[in-house]
Amino acid sequence: METDSKPGAVAFDRRQVYRPFLERLNPIGSQGLLANGLIVAPEHDPRDAGQPPIHVAFANTAELTRGSQMALVGGIGSGKTTELRLTEKVLNRHSDAVNVLVDLADYTDLNEISTGAILASAGMRLYSRVRLRLKKAGTELPEAVKAANRTLRELAFGKTNWVRQPPEPYDYEPDYEESYVPVKVPGVMKLRFPALRREVAEILDQFVRIASPLLDDEAQITLLVDGLDRLIKPELFREFAEQDLQALKGTKVSVIIVAPLLLWYDKSRFLQDYFDLVKHIPAAAADPQHSDFLRQILERRGARDLIDGAEITTIAKYSGGVLRDLLTLARSSAEYAYRDDEDRISRRHVNAAIKQLGNRYLVGLGNTHKRLLRRLSDDGGFPIENSTAKELLVNRQVLEYFSGGRESFVVHPALAKVLPKPA
Amino acid sequence: MTEFSPTTAFRLVRRLAAIGQDKASLYLLICDTAAIQAVQADIAAEVEVQLGVRLQAFAAEEVRPDKLEDVFTRDGGSPVTLIALHRWIAELVRALDRNIVLLTGTGAVLLLANHKAAEQTLRAAPNLRSRLTDILTISPDEAFRGVPA
Repeated sequence: METDSKPGAVAFDRRQVYRPFLERLNPIGSQGLLANGLIVAPEHDPRDAGQPPIHVAFANTAELTRGSQMALVGGIGSGKTTELRLTEKVLNRHSDAVNVLVDLADYTDLNEISTGAILASAGMRLYSRVRLRLKKAGTELPEAVKAANRTLRELAFGKTNWVRQPPEPYDYEPDYEESYVPVKVPGVMKLRFPALRREVAEILDQFVRIASPLLDDEAQITLLVDGLDRLIKPELFREFAEQDLQALKGTKVSVIIVAPLLLWYDKSRFLQDYFDLVKHIPAAAADPQHSDFLRQILERRGARDLIDGAEITTIAKYSGGVLRDLLTLARSSAEYAYRDDEDRISRRHVNAAIKQLGNRYLVGLGNTHKRLLRRLSDDGGFPIENSTAKELLVNRQVLEYFSGGRESFVVHPALAKVLPKPA
Repeated sequence: MTEFSPTTAFRLVRRLAAIGQDKASLYLLICDTAAIQAVQADIAAEVEVQLGVRLQAFAAEEVRPDKLEDVFTRDGGSPVTLIALHRWIAELVRALDRNIVLLTGTGAVLLLANHKAAEQTLRAAPNLRSRLTDILTISPDEAFRGVPA
């Protein structure tokens, strides 16, 4: 900290220059962004400039078709949670809207998650909303809803029952009766989706009972489910869709769920076949000639006070259009400038931040990964069906873009800058 | 190992103090295996002196992957949590990656790892990597000489 020791002089505290900027840039503490007006809402669908932005498309579908199911895919840090929050905000324009936004990791361990968990988490959150809503209206919460919540919690968290131990049967009991054993005879028809598991069906019953006061009032209920993209493996997500989401069909409760990026590239086209609407967030256009979006995000957070236009452009370019990387680069640049006791962020600080980000992506890459990255840089070839290629995409070392109706893949520009040349 | 900016416990904690100790931040700190204990002690001392709170520290082996909420739910607990990874524990790192929102609620989370564990963490945990505030190499205070502040 620098201070002027002259009597009466105003002390200069450099922390006050950078601290507010850093707080607005925190890429992992995004809860207050919407409330603080820091989010720059996209003006259109990132894949089609003629279509409304994703959050508007989702909200319109939920409002017009109750019970619709929608999926959102995008790479790590692409702004999926922000889109969910924006969708929630749009949905709130109607007074009868009841929106439940959950990140499943807040409620359940995503390592051991089992089918029924989405329904159970949503049901418990919905119960709080129903209780609040009825309290505001001066209406007593129906006993059936309270009971459903108790049962739902037991189903979700388990319970201990005390049961009488049956006596050990004697080997040669005179009254012994022959018992029957079930033998399944398979039918000829293969179900499009597997039958609901017993526990999922039980949870659904309780969920519907809890939602009934709202559904009876024709309320517009929307579940916005975040976090399942972190399962990464498409088959795990698919299991949930075929149980929890399938169970919700016909309940007039709409669902918007974040799905793993790899499902977007899955040959089975499960997402497109299962969901009523699927939206993909590719990396944003990083070239300021094509879009001002990234620059606006930084400027909204006060970048102009600390960074010259050329450096803002450089940060946008090397973020590759990954929103979280954009914030990380700006933040690191600011921290380098603060460390150097400078009042503005210069090219040197931005370059150091780019190198640091590139190194993050470089760590752990083997020769196979590097070969694929070089091939992509040299001739644009990227075999998306290859498991190493998929790994690079999930880990954001390779970014997917969509422009002019065409999908393309590019090595993350910060990684490209530090990627060693072949010997 | 790829090169990352060097720091010391003093500078790291000064950084936490500058942004506010209750603000969410997530750091991967890399050091030699032999220095992990000393670095952890340095950080604990700096946290106490500069922030006036006690560091909540765990060895990775103590953290149950299915009970992360026991470590990261801060109901009146310390705002600074450190997990020391003396070796690569795949199950724990995957759990941290999938349940990353538990780490990014409030306060600072410091993952202190040796080079190998850090490299494997970055490779196996893309959600965690994406949310890292920074990756730094850290050395015990007495061994840290001549690196510009």
